[in-house]
Amino acid sequence: MPRWTRFRQLWGPDPRSDVDDELQFHLEMRTAEYLERGASPDRARELARQRFGEFDGTRATCVDISKRRRRHMKMSDWMREFLQDLTHAARTLRRTPGFAVAAIATLALGIGATTAVFSVVHAVLIEGLPYRHADRLYRVGTLYPDGTSYSLSAPDFMSVKALAQSVDGVEAYARGLYTMAGSGEPREVRGIRVSRGLFELLGFGTSLGRPFAPGEHVPDGPGVVVLDHGFWTREFGADPAVIGRRVQLAGEPRTIVGVLAPHLTLGEPCDIYVPIPYGPTFDAHATRGRRNEFLRVIGRAAPGVGAQAINADLARIGQQLQQQFPDTNGRLTFNVRPEAELLVGETRRPLLVMLGAVALVLLAACANVASLMLTRGSARRTELAVRAALGAGRGRLVRQLVAEALVLGLGGGLAGVALADVAVRLLVWAQPADVPLLEAVAVNGAVVAFAFVCSALTALLFGIVPAIQSTGGGLLRYVHAGGRGGDGGGHRLRGALVVAETALAVVLLVGAGLLVRSFSALTRVDAGFVPDHAVSFRVTFQGPAYAERPAFVGRTGLILERLRGLPGVTAVAATSELPLGGRGSMIGFAVVGAPPPPDNVNAEIAAVGVTPDYIRAIGGAVLQGRGLTADDDRADAAPVALVNEAAVRQWFPDGSAVGKRVDADTTREIVGVIADVRQEGMGQPALPQIYAPMATMPSRSVRVVVRSTSDTAAISSAIRHAVADVDRALPVAELAPLETLIATSLARPRFYTTVLTAFAASALLLAAVGLFGVLSYSVLQRRREIGVRLALGARGAQVTRMVVGAALQLVGLGVAIGLLAALAAGRVLERQLFEVRPADPVTLGLVAAVLVATGIAASYLPARRASSLDPGTVLRES
Amino acid sequence: MGRPLTDSPDILRGTLDLLVLKALSWGPTHGYGVARWVEVATGDALAVGEGTLYPALHRLEERGLIASSWGASENNRRAKYYQLTPTGRARLRVEAANWRRYAAAIFAALDAPPLPGN
Repeated sequence: MPRWTRFRQLWGPDPRSDVDDELQFHLEMRTAEYLERGASPDRARELARQRFGEFDGTRATCVDISKRRRRHMKMSDWMREFLQDLTHAARTLRRTPGFAVAAIATLALGIGATTAVFSVVHAVLIEGLPYRHADRLYRVGTLYPDGTSYSLSAPDFMSVKALAQSVDGVEAYARGLYTMAGSGEPREVRGIRVSRGLFELLGFGTSLGRPFAPGEHVPDGPGVVVLDHGFWTREFGADPAVIGRRVQLAGEPRTIVGVLAPHLTLGEPCDIYVPIPYGPTFDAHATRGRRNEFLRVIGRAAPGVGAQAINADLARIGQQLQQQFPDTNGRLTFNVRPEAELLVGETRRPLLVMLGAVALVLLAACANVASLMLTRGSARRTELAVRAALGAGRGRLVRQLVAEALVLGLGGGLAGVALADVAVRLLVWAQPADVPLLEAVAVNGAVVAFAFVCSALTALLFGIVPAIQSTGGGLLRYVHAGGRGGDGGGHRLRGALVVAETALAVVLLVGAGLLVRSFSALTRVDAGFVPDHAVSFRVTFQGPAYAERPAFVGRTGLILERLRGLPGVTAVAATSELPLGGRGSMIGFAVVGAPPPPDNVNAEIAAVGVTPDYIRAIGGAVLQGRGLTADDDRADAAPVALVNEAAVRQWFPDGSAVGKRVDADTTREIVGVIADVRQEGMGQPALPQIYAPMATMPSRSVRVVVRSTSDTAAISSAIRHAVADVDRALPVAELAPLETLIATSLARPRFYTTVLTAFAASALLLAAVGLFGVLSYSVLQRRREIGVRLALGARGAQVTRMVVGAALQLVGLGVAIGLLAALAAGRVLERQLFEVRPADPVTLGLVAAVLVATGIAASYLPARRASSLDPGTVLRES
Repeated sequence: MGRPLTDSPDILRGTLDLLVLKALSWGPTHGYGVARWVEVATGDALAVGEGTLYPALHRLEERGLIASSWGASENNRRAKYYQLTPTGRARLRVEAANWRRYAAAIFAALDAPPLPGN
């Protein structure tokens, strides 16, 4: 019989041979009866045949009926039969609750973790942006000669809107901070100003009230505001009566006209939306304001138009503007990048790595359960053999074992979905890393479907091989041998599973190890400032009271003065940008007397306005020249500035900057060089930066740093009181220790490191448990052999060595395979790593050592049990 | 269709199903067990042509009145065992009651005197 036809039996019996068997049995029984009564064998057979009557016709009729019955078996019958298998399997499993619980718990962890990660992948990478026609949306940028891309100015936005032919919609928005009053304490809220058609373009609807009307986008128009759904829920208790309520935003009255539908976001979190007033610069022909780039612009590709065509179209517009406005747009043009790429691009790879990692954990869980099934299969060989002897076909037995696997898989799946739901809720609640769209992550229908498919597939994976293995040839021989003898190669298979689990654990541990080493390298980075004993907060001066520059500059000074008077305070300073808070705004830059930079370098520099004590307050270092003084920080003082080391490297090839004059807003003299302070993140090198006295580079939104000897709680409350004394309506925002800056900047790598470490630890645990199970079972199997050895004079230590040796053989092979796989897979982590190579020998060595130690630990108990066997007892047993 | 039971009393042709159901009411058994019971219970009504039991068994199974499974016989042979399904058990009750009424009517008729005035 060809091999494959055996599997036909999976789908049911063969009617013809069944009928033959049945009728033959009848005839033989009758024959035996006549033999007993004394007939000769031939005569007995003949009598039986006679009594039976017509044979061939009867047989044909029975076969026909049988076939017809199977043909007519409806889907529901199949389902019923399948359910019967499942119920039977569930009953069988209940008889061994220890096994069932162990298997289901293992699977629940594997499937739960996989489902949780998948729910994030689903929300972020598959569902993606909650925008209409998200795949046709592109971010438009002002393209500088060095290839960097920035926001657009209002006139450029209007030009692109007017001239672009490849897009059927161009809209814009800008972020800003607002002081909100009129509902509770004044506080700072994150706002977005939106262009006329932005909500329409993105398909943003309101769940309450209405979006903005076209007439509301005018200067001094009716003050209106739309609330973010989450903000409305948090701050207004989801009160529907907010529509029509008036609040003060930046000192101006506005009416709440709507609440956005839930989960709508423009990427970063936002509390309120207001219309952009289309002032005089919102004009495609305006010359003024073309280099005031503050608008994030989104364009929607016309149907069937790709990025390349849009880029060509925008390049054409760029050239047109270069000719039309040579002073402002001389070397600039425009480009687009897919919107989805911008928002989730950075997250894609880490998320996929997580998904891959968790899939490995699931595989390890499968291997463990498969190993359990094999052990159980061996223990049940007698039962299975008896059933086979009773006529259950192999297909029938396989089907039963697969049904058991399915029950375990579905049980694990159900528990896993529950686990995933808890995990996802925790994740959304904790917001551990700035993963975009995290709010939308939930265990929804698609995720449950994934978990279901996942469970069924894993069930097949860990069920089918043990099923075929346990029902394999020799079941009958096994019975005849009195239940002794080998377990049909199951041992080797279990060994292979342990090797596989070890290899999986090695891959995950290497990944986690690399991330941990990289993370610890990140935390050791000299960020250029000393965070301990300092706090920072932000105030934003808005509204009629602060309309003029002297008003808010003076107010800043007053606040700093008050803070200096607080007990324990050693330094106070204000800045427009904190360390790790970004580069600050870009301004045009040139070294006086130096040739212009090559085409691929922008004549610009990141600029920060600071008060004199800033470097001391953050714990930075002046390397050359001097710091800023109170005399520098006056509007009428001779303009000076400090630069960082990166600026010296880039703009002063001879290494000396002090005393040079530069054009930055105005002509300034460089009076000092300070040590680089990290701007974008701990892992990113510092970029050229200039620090100018705040009086000559004022800011409406200032970050204040207070260094003191008091504890954080005391100084924080003192700060709030001091600021309230100056202006009761001025909210103190983001008051936190400076350490928070580092912690926030490390949140994402810390999150990924933690998750991957948890996965690796699970895989290691699974491998250890798997190894322990295999060794324990093998010791049990080899009791007699070990007993004989001991009886023949082997010492306990030799037996221990034998068991541990067997363990280390498996582990060694697994480690070797795992290290090779880890080396091959290391590249996927490369971009997540900081100052660690994927083939880091320390990590690889440590992981190998950990696995070997785990192997020894896992084999300790079985080895002890083996070496302490009493040969007399064991040999008498048999 | 089943072949005519040449030497069996014709009555069996309509009642074979009932006999099979009754045989199985004592518990699951194989076709040979059914045959043995019918043999003893009816005074060997199926002496010749007991093969007709098998199409009857298969048809009853097709109608869902009995169910089959493979098991080991008394002498450790692979044998197909039949047992009543709940539907079969209910059907047996109904059919048996019908038969009793029918038989009672016939018996009563056979013993009945002529109509007065005939």
